[in-house]
Amino acid sequence: MGSISLTIDGQQVEVEEGATVLQAARKADIVIPTICDHKDLNPYGACRMCIVEIAGVRGFPTSCTTPAAPGMQVVTQSARLTELRNRTLELMFSGHPNSCLVCIHREACEQYRPKVTKAARSTRCGFCANRDECDLRTMALSAGKNELSLPTLYASYNLERDDPFMDRDYNLCVLCGKCWRICEKIHGKPAISIINRGKWARIGTAFDKSHVFSGCTFCGGCIDICPTGTLTDRFARWQGKPEADTPSACILCSEGCSVVAQSKGGQLLAYTMTGFNKEAGLCALGRFGAAQIAASNQRLIRPLVREGEDLIPFDWQGAIAAAAEGLKDCAGGVVLVISAATSREDRFLYVQLAEQLQGRMLLLPAEAGEDDPQVQALAAAVQGGTIRAVIANGNLLPVEMMAKVPFSLIIDCLHSPASSGASVVLPAAVLSESGGTFRTATGAIKQLAVSSQAPGDALPEWRIVCDLAQALGLTGFDFERVEAVTPLVADDPAPAPVSGDPRQNVRDLIPRFRGHLLADVVSALAAFGLPTTPAETSEETTGVGFPILEKREIAPNMHFFKVKAEKVAQFSLPGQFVILMAKETSERSPFTLVDWDAAEGTISLVIEEVGRSSRELASLKAGDRIAHVSGPLGLPLTIENKGTVLLGGGCYGIGAIFPLARALRQAGNRVICAIEASSAYLLYMQKELATACDQLIIATKDGSEGVRGGIQEVLAQVAAQEPVDQFIAVGCTFMMRMVTEISRTLNIPTLVALNPIMVDGTGMCGACRVSVGDKTRFACIDGPIFDGHGVDWDELASRRSAYAREEVQALSQSVDLNALMHQPHAQSHGGGCGCGR
Amino acid sequence: MTTNEPMPEQTEAAPKKGRVKTPRQPMPEQDPRRRRTNFEEVPRGYSEETAMLEASRCIQCKKPGCVEGCPVNIHIPAFIKLIAEGKFIDALLKLKEQTALPAVCGRVCPQESQCEARCILGKKGEPVAIGRLERFAADYARKHGGVPDPAKAAPTGKRVAVVGAGPAGITVAGELARWGHEVVMFEALHLAGGVLMYGIPQFRLPKEIVQYEVNNLKRLGVTIHTDYVIGKTETVGQLMETFDAVFIATGAGLPVFLGIPNENAIGVFSANEFLTRANLMRAIDFPRFATSPIRPRRAVTVGGGNVAMDSARTALRLGGESTIVYRRSKAEMPARAEEVHHAEEEGVVFHLLTNPVRIVTDAQNRVTGVECLRMELGEPDASGRRRPVAVKGSEFVIPADTVIVAIGNQPNPLVPQTAPEINTSKWGTIATDPVTMMTSKPGVFAGGDIVSGAATVISAMGQGKMAALAMHRYLMGGDPPQ
Repeated sequence: MGSISLTIDGQQVEVEEGATVLQAARKADIVIPTICDHKDLNPYGACRMCIVEIAGVRGFPTSCTTPAAPGMQVVTQSARLTELRNRTLELMFSGHPNSCLVCIHREACEQYRPKVTKAARSTRCGFCANRDECDLRTMALSAGKNELSLPTLYASYNLERDDPFMDRDYNLCVLCGKCWRICEKIHGKPAISIINRGKWARIGTAFDKSHVFSGCTFCGGCIDICPTGTLTDRFARWQGKPEADTPSACILCSEGCSVVAQSKGGQLLAYTMTGFNKEAGLCALGRFGAAQIAASNQRLIRPLVREGEDLIPFDWQGAIAAAAEGLKDCAGGVVLVISAATSREDRFLYVQLAEQLQGRMLLLPAEAGEDDPQVQALAAAVQGGTIRAVIANGNLLPVEMMAKVPFSLIIDCLHSPASSGASVVLPAAVLSESGGTFRTATGAIKQLAVSSQAPGDALPEWRIVCDLAQALGLTGFDFERVEAVTPLVADDPAPAPVSGDPRQNVRDLIPRFRGHLLADVVSALAAFGLPTTPAETSEETTGVGFPILEKREIAPNMHFFKVKAEKVAQFSLPGQFVILMAKETSERSPFTLVDWDAAEGTISLVIEEVGRSSRELASLKAGDRIAHVSGPLGLPLTIENKGTVLLGGGCYGIGAIFPLARALRQAGNRVICAIEASSAYLLYMQKELATACDQLIIATKDGSEGVRGGIQEVLAQVAAQEPVDQFIAVGCTFMMRMVTEISRTLNIPTLVALNPIMVDGTGMCGACRVSVGDKTRFACIDGPIFDGHGVDWDELASRRSAYAREEVQALSQSVDLNALMHQPHAQSHGGGCGCGR
Repeated sequence: MTTNEPMPEQTEAAPKKGRVKTPRQPMPEQDPRRRRTNFEEVPRGYSEETAMLEASRCIQCKKPGCVEGCPVNIHIPAFIKLIAEGKFIDALLKLKEQTALPAVCGRVCPQESQCEARCILGKKGEPVAIGRLERFAADYARKHGGVPDPAKAAPTGKRVAVVGAGPAGITVAGELARWGHEVVMFEALHLAGGVLMYGIPQFRLPKEIVQYEVNNLKRLGVTIHTDYVIGKTETVGQLMETFDAVFIATGAGLPVFLGIPNENAIGVFSANEFLTRANLMRAIDFPRFATSPIRPRRAVTVGGGNVAMDSARTALRLGGESTIVYRRSKAEMPARAEEVHHAEEEGVVFHLLTNPVRIVTDAQNRVTGVECLRMELGEPDASGRRRPVAVKGSEFVIPADTVIVAIGNQPNPLVPQTAPEINTSKWGTIATDPVTMMTSKPGVFAGGDIVSGAATVISAMGQGKMAALAMHRYLMGGDPPQ
């Protein structure tokens, strides 16, 4: 192929024949904005952002689909093009939530909102799960776009969380088509495509089936290529943008796929594909499972040494000494059982250890467990009484067998029956926490790069084996770096390939990693039919707690709960709150009462998923039970006739002002309710509020309904028309802070319902202390309602965000992220086809 | 390697007359270097042999001082005799006649100033290790089972509400249930046990033990409503409509802060919050339990009591350096000697005669240090302890990212606030008749820290025993069955 020459923005550009105008421009470092274009995808021409002017060509062709021709005169920047592109952006934004761009409080928000945000909140002021990674937002900001003239046409879809590993919020989709195109490229036939027409067009599976049954392999390609926050990795989304991309390889099976390890703050977020092509494809286990294994709350984090019935946490020195003590007289009677899901270096050192202890080493396939024939044979040998010690690097030995061996050492990353039965347990670093090399089934040797930190005291296995061997007085284990071991490893055979193709079929995924059932560690895998350890049903937890009678998603991500709590319902008063614990292991978190019915014995709550506790609650369904409901707590609002009362509610506060409005109106006040949301489709309870007050005023940040702006604007407008005798604001700290500034200038008495972090809610701990009028008050027993003009907002905002970082880091470990998934057995084969199954 | 290194004992010089005396038996303990990294219990308990040997030291006084020294008058020589004879379950039953919580008292009572202080052997040597033996009997019975359910009197038809499931409430509930009353307990938090659950750390009192004792109460027929905040969910007045008597034991649950600048900075905690997170909310098992632990790199605990020791030792286990700041000298510390000793062994640094005057913060309102003044001891004050006096110009800053304020608690206000008919003192404690333990509202009794102000587990239990007796007399007009 020859090359051709064309002119772009007056610059002479040489490109290969067949290149597009866009490719030619990129070669010359000329930037043309695009959304639907991707270097690994065929031109599509959907977004129309890349339009250019070409001399002699009518209209504005898309540069991504126009082949470059010799002598072409191309202009990429002109007033007309800018205007057209801005119009295109505007059209896109009319269907994509945009208050992050157009909100009139943007500047104040940037200044006052908590600095550590929980990146994953789906629908809020920031709107989107991908706040840091939205191509659309970046483009609009670079175009200086923050005024939109078109009306918004949001579809208001509820969030889709019923599939393994991914959350989908089609409210954010701009139909660039990258997801289904990458799916088609990698898998040949795409599992997803554009369904429906016109305003209702969106991405979906055929017949809207669950992705599990749509042919989706959960390779994560669509998530990684999505330019908005529509498709997100349920596990990694909370962490925001990754800080580092490190090329490495996955050791979970003998395929040893090359990966790019994404990490942040020393934590592995995901293994992603090395490129968007078929060869680089990953299986669901590698793409999503690896990071979840590394972050599992089942990780072993401290060395443990048995003392009678207990395993006592030890320091490394003591634990290695205890292990050496246990092994010292066992030469000749030691068996090592090592999983193939181990680096070559670690395996080499295990072999050396076995040889010097005159023992044997059994190498088990990556997917093997304790039912492996080699282990069975070992169990028979143990019966004979010749085996004095066993060492295993996984849940590879039956507990009954270990009980018969005088000394057992487990070097592993996860808790298991084997580790709880061992004499000594040493915590190991795994996956991206440990370096070395790995030989794949095809014989290739791949580098393993360290890109994350092992939790707690865990150390790489090569380090552990060297320390142990030295404590035993063995020689040849004097290594300071794993790289020093690599040259010594030779002639290691290639492992057997895995059966089936896990990258093309989720049902071929291997069931175990080092003897641990993977679906126990990465629970979403159970959706593919992978085996799990049957849970022990404890009788104590059934039948206790507070039953959820009703649960609905009344706006995207805003959950209405009706809970049976007779005593709370009987004694509730307006302005009070309850403390909830979703499970016995949850935090205690306060939530404002929205309604109650003493006769029925129920309370109603509106819970927005913001962080860990609310996520746990949002994961519950009607019929489930909330472990603990304590209340009503706090001092109620004093209900008296003040005249005209304006109530302002945002976020959860829309629901929280409902009982206040009702009570104040009954007391003879003229009650005006003002509610705000980023966009009209996030409003809720308008009907209920309209009946509870004299006037309902709506404000949206994007102007999609009612007043454009927030409670601030409504307050100013109302105050200009009639005297307001009392103003009460309930909502996020940011809103309450902003409105009190306005009400102060207007001299309107203002009450706010504060929402600091609480623990017990009964005055016992003081976590909720706030400064009001230079006095320290406890929000749980002195509040939560205080004089808004006396509140130290800076202090409140800083105290509220005190744990944000810890919360995000631990969220994926402490919350069942898959709680809203369809249960694999309890569901039909997908639905939508009309057969009723 | 073993953690069973003996606790150092001050062994006395050999006895004069050549009689071979058994020395006081040490209890094995976890090595301090190791235990500072875990939450396992520090003392590991007596073995059967050691317990019998120690029990054999008791000379079975005719007029045992130890019993008088015990706030709940346990028949100490009797239970020790049973241990010496190897009748461990019988020993527990003997204990249970007087105390509802032997496994707890054996661990957290200040025996050195109570029973053991009165032991005749202590006059010339080391007293019998009464607390360790009590603990042994209770642990043995818990591990081996076979304890018959205590005898229960015939139902009296009387209903009693117990508000607060801490040491005082548990004692009252246990006594009244045995005497045939229908007892319903109301606990504001999600688990019963009060300070035993939220306050005392795992390494001093394993939570399984507390829940075992709570389950024993349930087996006695006591109903326990958790998540039930009397004063909010229902008031004492409303309770009296359906119960014949009410016992209020809501404790000293309102933390006192220092009242110094920047005390609301991020990183300043009440000891209650710090310990509640770690113990009740099990932040030490984070992330399996969702509550974030506070992981101090440098923790400063202010105070010199048992709660301060618990906080400082918990901070040490959760993080790095741990320092105690106390404005008087070691001699005036209200903490048990054993706790101070354990804290020192584990590496807690003591800044004595030091008083915090200001919290130092950064631009994000996070703690970076505590500014302190050096003190010297002056004339004795009302408590009989020498009053600390500030040394002028002695300000210095202790770097810290976490400050734990452990200078005491006031009575929890929820019940007094919502029951105006019950008289309170100027300190917010509930006023009771010292003999009948009845409040100004007939049929409503009170005891524990809500009456006495912040004190010990065993004193609350002692009050509980008195109150139970008084309540039974009030309900039945006579003494309970033996």
